[in-house]
Amino acid sequence: MRVYLFGFASDDFVGRVIVTPDHRTVAQLAGQLVAWGLAPEQGGSLTVRNEAGGILDPAATIAQAGLGNGDIFKVERSR
Amino acid sequence: MVLRRDDWLDIARKVDWTPRYVEERELFPQEISGRPWLTQDAWRNWNEAYRTTYREYVATQRDKDAAVLGVRAALSKPRLFDDLDPGWVQLVKFHNGAVALVEYAGAVAELRMARFGRDSAWRTMATLGALDEIRHTQIPLLIGHDLLAHDGNFDWTHKAFHTSQWVILAARHLFDDMFLAADAVDLAIQLNFVFETGFTNLQFMAMAAMADRAHHHLFEKTVASIQTDEARHAQIGHPVLRTLLENGSRERAQYLIDKMWWRCWRLFLALSGTAMEYLAPVSARTRSFKEFMTEWVTEQFMKNLAEFDLEKPWFWDLFIEELDYAHHSFQLGLYTYRTTLWFDVAMPDRAEREWLTGKYPQWEQTYGALWDQLERRWEDGGEAGTLAYGLPALCNLCQLPALFIRPGRNTACTLELDGRRYLFCSEPCRWIFQQESSRFADHHSVVDRIVAGQAPGKLTDLHEWMGLQAPVETGKDLRRGLDPWRLDPVPTA
Repeated sequence: MRVYLFGFASDDFVGRVIVTPDHRTVAQLAGQLVAWGLAPEQGGSLTVRNEAGGILDPAATIAQAGLGNGDIFKVERSR
Repeated sequence: MVLRRDDWLDIARKVDWTPRYVEERELFPQEISGRPWLTQDAWRNWNEAYRTTYREYVATQRDKDAAVLGVRAALSKPRLFDDLDPGWVQLVKFHNGAVALVEYAGAVAELRMARFGRDSAWRTMATLGALDEIRHTQIPLLIGHDLLAHDGNFDWTHKAFHTSQWVILAARHLFDDMFLAADAVDLAIQLNFVFETGFTNLQFMAMAAMADRAHHHLFEKTVASIQTDEARHAQIGHPVLRTLLENGSRERAQYLIDKMWWRCWRLFLALSGTAMEYLAPVSARTRSFKEFMTEWVTEQFMKNLAEFDLEKPWFWDLFIEELDYAHHSFQLGLYTYRTTLWFDVAMPDRAEREWLTGKYPQWEQTYGALWDQLERRWEDGGEAGTLAYGLPALCNLCQLPALFIRPGRNTACTLELDGRRYLFCSEPCRWIFQQESSRFADHHSVVDRIVAGQAPGKLTDLHEWMGLQAPVETGKDLRRGLDPWRLDPVPTA
């Protein structure tokens, strides 16, 4: 199912809308967000959290991670 | 014998009468006169601090108009742009589009109070206020029209509020809430007490000071002239607030003040903060936006609250934290989404970055790398690499991009209501929405409309939907302009 989410990358300055099928993984979702940001080439591992701050399993699908239409996710990049 | 002014003014100000054919509640229905609904006795002590007569008003306004028109005449039309910094020209274009027709809407608000205000002196003040607001519309429209010969985008002085451009939708959302969809009591608190007493000082007096240093004397004269009117009719708010507090509505008054402070802050950081520190030339800057906010807005607001023994808004610490960051984050948003604007946007140069770091010691550390990145993208791939192509997340209350406070510290949050999930840039925006959810819930942001297929998702179509003819009318990098190929004819199959 297609869902729209609001992603916030820790090294970006604005929340961005991501429209994606919810069978993609959390890791793919995070990759999509930082690819649209200002510094996609920076690399580093990505940690994804939901609005409440819980860490999401990167191998889980977006649906399995509990993300649905209008939800927030946050991506932190570590070097 | 001719009566002296002070012999008749009080009688003329206070011509309230007791209705005989209808009930007072029918003459002043709560729905539009406001709540709490009080009998006329409760409003009898409504007094403005500075009193004026219609004769005095006309004489003063005539002099003020003559002063503005005198400067306009002295600067013949071909010389209107002479010696103006290019960034300053864009600032004026931004200001005109965002402000001119708000003033016209302000005339509707004043007229609502002129009919439904609960005391005769209040209605008289509001009548003069309506005349003020019409004047505040006509002068920018006249001057904006003069500037059309130099830059066609000055038609946004009039056009902006008739479009669905996203900054304008955010402004309309605020002003509809503040006064067009407000009763006389609420709008007196929200428009006169908070917005005009608090914030327009910043937009008009600070801008006038900067205009002087930018050698734009017509703009200086215009905004300073407007502010003298604002200062007069803004005094409507104080006696309305006093009456509310004397009649057991402290909680309601505090809510209206808190709500409107936050909403005005959101719009002003987007409009004034970015314009003052990224479009005004360094030579025209006196204080920083933060310093203006602290000295001209916050301190005065604190005095006003103390006068009425009201509390600071509960989100004050967040507001103070945002003073150092929010408009700088917003500037990055304006820059990377500049093709959705009607004015050009600046990337700060070396001198400006030094100035910003002097005023905001953490600026370079927080924002320097992001601007460096955009500089490199210009060098490596030209304009296309410096534009954002994905949709920004928009707040369902303030309608602005959710980019606060700074990279790594965002305050976005959500709310589930009746099966719909709403996004907010911050707790105060969510709190305001929750207090009056039925008022706000049915509105759809630009992004909501795109996601639902009610607005085009393709950027070129979205420009048209927002009233922007690309690339001629859309915002560019102030110094670099467009990549030349952008002006080539669109290829056809």
